[in-house]
Amino acid sequence: MKPSGQINLIGGLLDLPILDRNGLYCGVVDDIELDDRGGSAPQVTHLLVGPGAYRGRLPGWAVWLVARIAGTDVTRVPWDAIERIDSSVTLNDAAEAFGLARTEDRFRAFIPKWGAM
Amino acid sequence: MNPLELTLGIMTAVGGFVDISELVFAAQAGSSFHYALIWVFAFATVGMMVLGEMSGRVAAIAKQPVFNLMRHRLGLKLGLVTLLASLVSNLITCAAEVGGIAIILHLLTGAGYRLMAVASVVVLIATIWVLPFKWIERAYGLLGLFMIVFAIALVKIDPPWTEIAKGFVPQVPHGLSDKELVTFAYFTVAIISAVLFPYEAYFYSSGAIEEEWGRKDILTNRVTCTVGFALGSLLAISILANAAQLFGPAHIDPQLPGSAALEVALPLGRTGLLLALLGMLFAVAGAAVETCLANAYSVAQFFGWAWGRHKKPWEAPRFTIAWIVLMLVALGIVLAGVDPMKLVEYAILFSILVLPLTYLPLLLLARDRHFMRDHRNGLLANLLGWAFFVVILIAAVAAIPLFILTSGGQT
Repeated sequence: MKPSGQINLIGGLLDLPILDRNGLYCGVVDDIELDDRGGSAPQVTHLLVGPGAYRGRLPGWAVWLVARIAGTDVTRVPWDAIERIDSSVTLNDAAEAFGLARTEDRFRAFIPKWGAM
Repeated sequence: MNPLELTLGIMTAVGGFVDISELVFAAQAGSSFHYALIWVFAFATVGMMVLGEMSGRVAAIAKQPVFNLMRHRLGLKLGLVTLLASLVSNLITCAAEVGGIAIILHLLTGAGYRLMAVASVVVLIATIWVLPFKWIERAYGLLGLFMIVFAIALVKIDPPWTEIAKGFVPQVPHGLSDKELVTFAYFTVAIISAVLFPYEAYFYSSGAIEEEWGRKDILTNRVTCTVGFALGSLLAISILANAAQLFGPAHIDPQLPGSAALEVALPLGRTGLLLALLGMLFAVAGAAVETCLANAYSVAQFFGWAWGRHKKPWEAPRFTIAWIVLMLVALGIVLAGVDPMKLVEYAILFSILVLPLTYLPLLLLARDRHFMRDHRNGLLANLLGWAFFVVILIAAVAAIPLFILTSGGQT
């Protein structure tokens, strides 16, 4: 399904995994940003990706717990960046282009790059 | 369907079927209730076939492992509850497996239990680091085939085969006291939990993604789940039947994994004992790897991190850190001095409580027309799946009272 078609935001988009153009897992649709145009129907402008977007969706203790495990980052991915929506959301470019590889890159520094087949 | 791949897949499923909980509970069940609990193993194995096939099929068709879609299906709050519950359950199970390896290595080498626990975790971490997914799965699964020695031992002692065959018929033995009836019920729940461990669904469906399964693998998935799990279950039933024949009449309660190996030593001597211990070692080590990876898969998939051991460890850094930390925490639990058999009991208890949360989203996904299209559940799969779900629910409700009433299955 292309984003230009009809979509159920809660049942068909929220909490779906996100893959970049190269098939790399780079997040989950943690929330959706709407543009309220005052009178006309609101438009989806961005996907919010990262545990920082959980605030408002989870009770306080759970937000605190998730922050300890996964941090509080949140990245805004433009709606136009979506290539396809099915059992995942596929983006039309690499994760780096949307800032979705930053956290992985930060942790990569701690991993030795030898010994694996 | 590549026949070599299929054969290897089946053999891996057979060798990887038994873990520390099945070892302990099969031997105890046979010793305490003779052949009367064989049907529970058979029944739970059919459940594992049905639900395992579904998790492989969902992964092959929707191209997403169970946990990835679980959050989408259950929502963030219930998804998080499922994640936390399965983390605790799998962590305790992983610690129980590490404790089991340490006991077996202690029996094999005579070295200290704690030292062997540390050594085993070093080897497990090195294995996961060095080997790609398929090799990890195959290596432990195929080496676990040494467990076939339990089936050979059973043939050698020539048990009453008619009695064993009768054990496949659902039954509650006559003449049990109230206390024995409660213990029988506890063993029933424990065996269902041990066969249907939640980590197996997470590991199996994530493994299907690791191996890039697609529509062409639907038949491989079905055959591996049915034939592989059935033959694996027969190994567990061999342990039970050996214990019924050898331990039952002597009123021996085989509470330690090492006791199960004695079943083989009696008919097959020293070589049989060595093969049994090696089979147990690799089977339990394989389960430790699976529980650890299953936990890391769950966390990574829930938060949308890069994951998988088909990637190099540095290509999925947070996933790599997750499985290393989880393995070290499991080791920490063992080194803290918690009795490994207590860990087995807790693993069984926590797992059965998590099972409904594990399999509900799977059942919803497998029948979902949007995700599964022409490969969604048919009438039979739906019927069997939901029937087993009801059984799991009943077992989960009964687990805590039975655990308390029997002090963890003390006979």
